[in-house]
Amino acid sequence: MQEILKKLEKEALESLEKADTLERTKEIEVQYMGRNGHLTMILRGMKDLSDEEKRVIGPLCNSTKNTLEEAFAKKIKTFEEEALAKELSKEFFDTTIPGSARPLGHIHALSQLQEEVEKIFSQMGFTVADGPEIESEYYNFEGLNIPKDHPARDMQDTFFIQEKNDEKHGRMVLRTQTSPVQIRMMEKYGAPLRLIVPGRVFRFEATDASHDSMFYQVEGLLIDKNISLAHLKGVLAEFLTRLFGKPVKVRFRPGYFPFVEPGLEVDFSCLLCEGKGCRVCKHSGWMEFMGAGMVHENVLKAGGINSKEYQGWAFGFGLTRLVMMRYGIDDIRLLTNGDLRFNKQF
Amino acid sequence: MFVSLNWLKDFVETPALQGNELGELLTLKTAEVDNVIDEGESLKGIVVGQIVEIVSHPNADRLKITKTSIGKETLQIVCGGQNIKEGMYVAVACLGAKVKWHGEGEPVVMEKAEIRGVESYGMICASVELGLNNPDEGPHDILDLSALKPEVGAEIKDVLKKDDIIFEFDNKSLTHRPDLWGHIGIAREISAITNSKFKPLKVDVKIPETGESIDVKVKDKTLCPRYCGLIFNNIKVEKSPDWLTRRLKATGHGIHNNIVDITNYVMMELGQPLHAFDKALIKDGIIVRPAKKNEKIKTLDSKEYNLDETMLVIADHEKPVAVAGIIGGEHSGINENTTSIILESANFNSSSVRRTSTKLGIRTDSVQRFEKGLDPLLAETAIKRAAQLILQICPEAQIAGAITDIQKFNKKPLKITLDLEKAKSKIGAEISAQEMKKILESLEFKVTEKGRKIKTFIVEVPTFRATKDILIEDDLIEEIARIYGYDNIAPILPNLPTKLPLENTERTKKHRARELFSYGLGFDEVYNYSFYGLTDIKKSLLAESHHLKLQNYLSEEQTHMVTSLAPNILKNLQENVKNFSEIKIYEIGHTYLEIGEFFPLEEKKICGAILIKGKSDKIFYEAKGCIEAFIQKFNLSHVAPAKGAKNTPYAHPAKSLTFIDHSGKSLATCFMLHPTVQKNYDLDKYSIAFFEINFTEALKLEETKNSYKHLPKFPSITFDISVAVDKNVEVATLESAIKNTEKDLINDVKLFDIYEGEKIAQDKKAVAFSVTLQALDRTLTDAEMAQTQSKIFTALENLGGEIRGKK
Repeated sequence: MQEILKKLEKEALESLEKADTLERTKEIEVQYMGRNGHLTMILRGMKDLSDEEKRVIGPLCNSTKNTLEEAFAKKIKTFEEEALAKELSKEFFDTTIPGSARPLGHIHALSQLQEEVEKIFSQMGFTVADGPEIESEYYNFEGLNIPKDHPARDMQDTFFIQEKNDEKHGRMVLRTQTSPVQIRMMEKYGAPLRLIVPGRVFRFEATDASHDSMFYQVEGLLIDKNISLAHLKGVLAEFLTRLFGKPVKVRFRPGYFPFVEPGLEVDFSCLLCEGKGCRVCKHSGWMEFMGAGMVHENVLKAGGINSKEYQGWAFGFGLTRLVMMRYGIDDIRLLTNGDLRFNKQF
Repeated sequence: MFVSLNWLKDFVETPALQGNELGELLTLKTAEVDNVIDEGESLKGIVVGQIVEIVSHPNADRLKITKTSIGKETLQIVCGGQNIKEGMYVAVACLGAKVKWHGEGEPVVMEKAEIRGVESYGMICASVELGLNNPDEGPHDILDLSALKPEVGAEIKDVLKKDDIIFEFDNKSLTHRPDLWGHIGIAREISAITNSKFKPLKVDVKIPETGESIDVKVKDKTLCPRYCGLIFNNIKVEKSPDWLTRRLKATGHGIHNNIVDITNYVMMELGQPLHAFDKALIKDGIIVRPAKKNEKIKTLDSKEYNLDETMLVIADHEKPVAVAGIIGGEHSGINENTTSIILESANFNSSSVRRTSTKLGIRTDSVQRFEKGLDPLLAETAIKRAAQLILQICPEAQIAGAITDIQKFNKKPLKITLDLEKAKSKIGAEISAQEMKKILESLEFKVTEKGRKIKTFIVEVPTFRATKDILIEDDLIEEIARIYGYDNIAPILPNLPTKLPLENTERTKKHRARELFSYGLGFDEVYNYSFYGLTDIKKSLLAESHHLKLQNYLSEEQTHMVTSLAPNILKNLQENVKNFSEIKIYEIGHTYLEIGEFFPLEEKKICGAILIKGKSDKIFYEAKGCIEAFIQKFNLSHVAPAKGAKNTPYAHPAKSLTFIDHSGKSLATCFMLHPTVQKNYDLDKYSIAFFEINFTEALKLEETKNSYKHLPKFPSITFDISVAVDKNVEVATLESAIKNTEKDLINDVKLFDIYEGEKIAQDKKAVAFSVTLQALDRTLTDAEMAQTQSKIFTALENLGGEIRGKK
């Protein structure tokens, strides 16, 4: 009996192995496990056996039955999966139809970069400050140690508002720089002070591909005890390295701005050639970037800060220029003419 | 400003660095050098040749075949020059040299060539082909060097003395340095930054103590602190010697005659402008005075200028002969018949020169220097130096008498106390007292040490730096820092303050608002100018009052400061409809409102527009939705809608809505564009909705506190109701009628459809709501729902409504 079962199991598995279609598999299943199948017949014959035989043969029968059931189920499942896979792969489905997600709008390139700049400086403990775009001559010039006969005061540089004159404030101007906010913040908060002022400034000059009468600047100011040019170098290098995502070096040269002393021109190492010299940096290895320096004692005085106790530096750079540099924009006017073919690129 | 290295060498021992390296060092420590030009560079490989033999070219009438010796060899060169002769000394471009073909285009490298069948090994050059200017040369001539009797084979750059290196300084970077506007000043800097020896100018000239002196009267000694005048007789006006013209040309000056050239030479050497008058044309004497009203002068550039009382002039006893410190008059200028001259070396007030120059629109080398604030002592040095040169170049000339010297200026030396610790703390580097002293002394500051451990210096400022440039301690710190070298300062980060920075919530929220409008609501951000023109004001039906007007403007479209962002947005729409059929844009910017005080009311606004093709008001609700989204995003409390939009003339009067705060102040409006405005901007084919938010005011509002509500434990029931009502019944009326029937049970009423059309009477509309009932403590029964439903039906019927589908 034992041998018969073994033989049966072997035969069944062998013919199952050979079955190459679902139909054939099912036929074999019926052949063995069906109502009149071989195994079924044997199982049916079990009732005629003695109890002792049943005890021995019973488990054997069950085990054969389980083995075969499992084998058939497995084989059938394989065929079914193959059939489904085949059927699914036949379906035509066009994945090239564009996604139907709601179209996103666009934040202006200047806004995006401005936020990045603000974030980096905020992390270094700088407050983001704001001030009016229409300023008085006092805040825009005198307070910043730019006396009446300074070249920057000439009509060709500054927009004036009609019929506005005040004894303290002088005439009213569209601010030519974000620096007036330095004085306003010193007046309001005193020292120590650590802030940046990103904002819109105006110059009365003819517009062309690289000049606009309106652009964006970022002013920086750090007033505390024992603040030095070494700190300025550190902060600027850190800022640029963060912004560009690679190590950037900073170089100081003498420069002249009435509101700082010593005054500096600041360059950073060319991003393209990393200081070796290339076409972009005119083979100097450096990109001209901003004006900076130690805040002039007259400016601290105008802001009501004791220059014996506190000292610090200020810098100002063109956010617009930085945007143009970052994206390779060759015409500044694209930033303000509202052409959506341009604005939608960012 | 152009500076010649050869000239510099008169005043400084040749430094180890030259050319580009010196230029770089000057840029890093003194002032920006834009360009370093090596004069000899372009003449490399061009040598002196002598034509040995000339024969005709067999295949070309206008060409000759020459044998030309260049010393070590004799070359066959084909040449078309009409003036060539045997024995003539010429400039030969050997193979490999660079020449400008016919003086035009980029230089090309000489190669062996076959010209009409004859080989040619180089080129005999015309002046233009070498980049030189020689007016005596005919158009088909080559450069004839015979007069110079040069050595055959010698480099042309040596023969023509083109051995100079020229530094071009960025004038802007010299704004604060009156001392750097002459070679001697730059030489002093080079001496300090390269540790080479400075060679001061020695003027050796005998000025007689008696004789004829010019009579000078200075009416305003504030505007003219010093005036030196000197008479020369027996002057012969002629061409200047080569060495002098070469230097003037190299530094970008035109050549006139010996006297004028000498005045320019001294200016370029010392930085002091001089002026020479023809004495015969000066009536009696010199008067330095303010101009009279409407006085006129014709200047050296042959232009006539109207003067006024704020301008200082140099006059004789009849008329103005020069505008002080700016430009000379044509009438009294040096000419070929001049035999006696008056040489002027003066000091003028920098601001006055600047103001007059700006008013007259004249910029000259002289203005450029006087406006920086020159040292009054320089006037005397310069007149003596000029006298020396005049006697050297015009040996027959005679100085007529003593220098007339009218002066009134402070001769007390300027002394500044320098705190060494402060200097180090500002620079951020450990610099020894010794080093600081050395630096200051290299720039001719006199240093006296004070204190036992040398805590301070008393520093005497040299007069040529003491006018404007060096006035305070920080100015000295700058001198130390730049010569010590900014490159030697190591970057360090400041310690972070323990107190957090002040927070600018407005700024942060502006960025969040951008995210809401761009990424949440699908709008594109635009940036516009802060001004517009009168046409825009009229087109958008605004009133001109309350506008700030620009005094100076670039175009008629940019004359007024904006009081609303809408007109510029309308222009954006007008431009963009060429490329887009649907537009959603917004701008965040300032508006400026005249309110009768000195400073205007400057507020931040958000203005957005939606444009679609065709006629539909549905975008009004999109604009309204934008404001509602903004209110929700920023948790603004107690904001309520009110009909219409005040102070918004470009809004459709009926299709407009204002959101007000608890005090009735307007925070935002949304509206369809006024049809007239739409027409004015040629946008009648479109529908345009706007929203405007007063960002400044909105952020002043308190934020609603948000707190958690328990999630309902029992199921809710939702059913729909459709009611037909008269068209003029507002949705809000229906909505509140529904809500008021069972305030405790009705959790939500949502409008989901409004139907007008064929399937309903013409004066009616069908409004459909979805109503949700919810009790917090139990599952609602069908009976409760039916009861509520019927209450709602009654309420709506009371409003004249007819419930659709009611059994």
